[in-house]
Amino acid sequence: MAKEIFMPKLSSTMETGTILQWMKKEGDPVEMGEPVFEVMSDKINIEVEAYEEGVLLKKYYDVDDVVPVNTIVGYIGEEEEEVPETAPEEPAPEETSQEEEPKEYADTVPATADANGQIRATPAARRVAKENGVLLSDMEGSGPKQRIHQQDVYDYVQAAGEKPKATPLARKRAEEQNLDLNTVEGSGPGSKIYAKDLTGSGQKTTGAEPGRIPVKGIRKIVADRMAESASTVPHVTLYSEVDMTEAIRLRSQLQDKIVEETGYKLSYTEIMMKAVAEALKRHPYLNASLSADQQEILLHKEINVGLAVATEQGLVVPVVPRAGEKGLTALVQASKQLAENARNQRLQPEQMQGGTFTISNLGMYAVDGFTPIINQPEAAILGVGQMKETPAEENGNVVFRPKTTFSLSFDHRIVDGAPAAAFLSDVKQLIEAPYELLM
Amino acid sequence: MRELTYVEALRECMSQEMRENENVFILGEDIGVYGGAFGVTRGMIEEFGPERVRNTPISEAGITGSAIGSALTGMQPIVELQFSDFITIAMDQLANQAAKLRYMYGGKGNVPMVLRTPAGSGTGAAAQHSQSLEAWVAHIPGLKVVQPSTAYDAKGLLKAAIDDPNPVIFYEHKLLYKTSSEDVPEKMYSLPLGQADIKREGTEVTIVATSVMVHRALEAAEVLAEEGISVEVIDPRSIVPLDEETIVQSVIKTNRVIIAHEAVKRGGYGGEIASMITESEAFDFLDAPVKRLGASPVPVPYNPELEKAMTPQTEDLVQACRESLQRA
Repeated sequence: MAKEIFMPKLSSTMETGTILQWMKKEGDPVEMGEPVFEVMSDKINIEVEAYEEGVLLKKYYDVDDVVPVNTIVGYIGEEEEEVPETAPEEPAPEETSQEEEPKEYADTVPATADANGQIRATPAARRVAKENGVLLSDMEGSGPKQRIHQQDVYDYVQAAGEKPKATPLARKRAEEQNLDLNTVEGSGPGSKIYAKDLTGSGQKTTGAEPGRIPVKGIRKIVADRMAESASTVPHVTLYSEVDMTEAIRLRSQLQDKIVEETGYKLSYTEIMMKAVAEALKRHPYLNASLSADQQEILLHKEINVGLAVATEQGLVVPVVPRAGEKGLTALVQASKQLAENARNQRLQPEQMQGGTFTISNLGMYAVDGFTPIINQPEAAILGVGQMKETPAEENGNVVFRPKTTFSLSFDHRIVDGAPAAAFLSDVKQLIEAPYELLM
Repeated sequence: MRELTYVEALRECMSQEMRENENVFILGEDIGVYGGAFGVTRGMIEEFGPERVRNTPISEAGITGSAIGSALTGMQPIVELQFSDFITIAMDQLANQAAKLRYMYGGKGNVPMVLRTPAGSGTGAAAQHSQSLEAWVAHIPGLKVVQPSTAYDAKGLLKAAIDDPNPVIFYEHKLLYKTSSEDVPEKMYSLPLGQADIKREGTEVTIVATSVMVHRALEAAEVLAEEGISVEVIDPRSIVPLDEETIVQSVIKTNRVIIAHEAVKRGGYGGEIASMITESEAFDFLDAPVKRLGASPVPVPYNPELEKAMTPQTEDLVQACRESLQRA
């Protein structure tokens, strides 16, 4: 009998999940506990492990599809088994299916919230469980009708202190494999052990061994995309030193007004975004991408500027849509909110889509210039280095000017050196004489 | 210290008070030469004379009404009802007059009276002379309700009841009259109403017991101590006002509570105490269901074995504690 794979509900607020990748193709054999697909919710991304052993018979959704929670996304079963050709419409009952290992995330939920009125426990047991952040559902009650008493919680907490943190599935499989969980390194939060961590484990790790971080989630996405871009796109990087004197003046003149309007500060990033958007209007080849079959160059009508943001999880690139039509106030509003969302991991998938050009600003670090990798399928990316007082010639004298190095990487398949250089020159010009932005 | 019986302690309290306070007098059926149904007032008529130790006709409504009237004029009467079962006849006077007058006169009149009356079973006095009806009066706002369990408490609480400007129903217990305390001071003392007494300290289960049940709880605690179970026994001493704090703190400490009274469990005051506990801070500390022990809902039988069977005994308390600790 084929078993459904559901889109898991990973948090109380999750309504849909985006499929980031499938680890299995249709027809692939699947072991119990093996990751089948990776899903991104509004908060986290996580690999969904199979709870069944068999063959992945069907997957109804592709990568980047947004699927409501508890919807059947596929089936695991015996080879040749019949399953519906299209995704069953009916979402599964609200109950969390076992595939998703709900307890991974429930640790932060107070024990009483988990009870659903189903767990028999005394008020004192509930209080102690809550104080210790443990789940009543994880323990056994010693009282009549398995009622959980205070002492049961104390016992559990004490035992948990001695036992490594692990998911129930990992525990079960470790038991089956006769594996000591103490010898396994967990990849989850607080070194929690997932079922997949068990593979290849069994030897005690020594201090000499490197720390191991699984490449997954955002790290995995960044890794794949950068490798693909760097290996397929012929990158050329142009450098230009930009005098920031006028941009500094512009910023200080507008600062108070913009803070008043938006509550956010105007930063150079938005001034650069404005200049870049303006320059892109004049250089449509830089606001372009190669079609999937590489037969056509698509010149985009909209100028949507992506902003590389470093988060704890890794690099994300939220997109300021229609940056070409926005004034500085609107740009500040949009980019500050996106950056905030990015750092709080609250970015919606659509907020990271549709970019036509990317700016990557490392100016807060001691970096002068670099060779940014193009955010595919865009045609170019602008890297921004630190601003520093640089000697310059003025009327035969040496003076110091605040200058920043711009590094423009472009896809030589789409655009050649000369037009790219012209674009970069225009950007430089617009920042050095920002009044042109008013034209 | 002196050893004194419960009866002697009560008599001593009344006599000492009457020597000092000329407003205090006692009235009731056969309290004169006969000394009352249980001999509490024995010898008092000789010392204080028939004006202050007044024999009354057999009319509980009349006796109580007279006391209320005299209290309103500034006297401090002590009524004795032979058996607390007869309080039903005095209920209109108590509920509609004594409890209400101070309130309805806006505090311009007080009813500083005490109504002493023996309650409880265990004497073979049958259905009409063995009840524990304290919940009836505890329900009426304006009445205070006291249930001393020892000679020491009896003297101190009776003094507080006499001094109180409100009507106080003072429940004595027939089985306790002959019990004695070793430490009853001769000098007058007062034990404030609304202050519970921790009769025995313990850590694993709390028994809240009233009147005669306090002694059975202490016996049960002794039995359980031999098994290594530590029981705390709390005697509220007055159920109106009730010392909630002492009970709540004890339950927070022990996580388990048993409430024991001799009155019928159904509608008994134990339900009030149990509810108070679950509504309190102690709720989050309860590690077992709150348990009540009370009499079966039947008239008190004349047959001594059946009479014993209908009310909680020491063994019932022991068992309840074990259940609460899951050691049954």
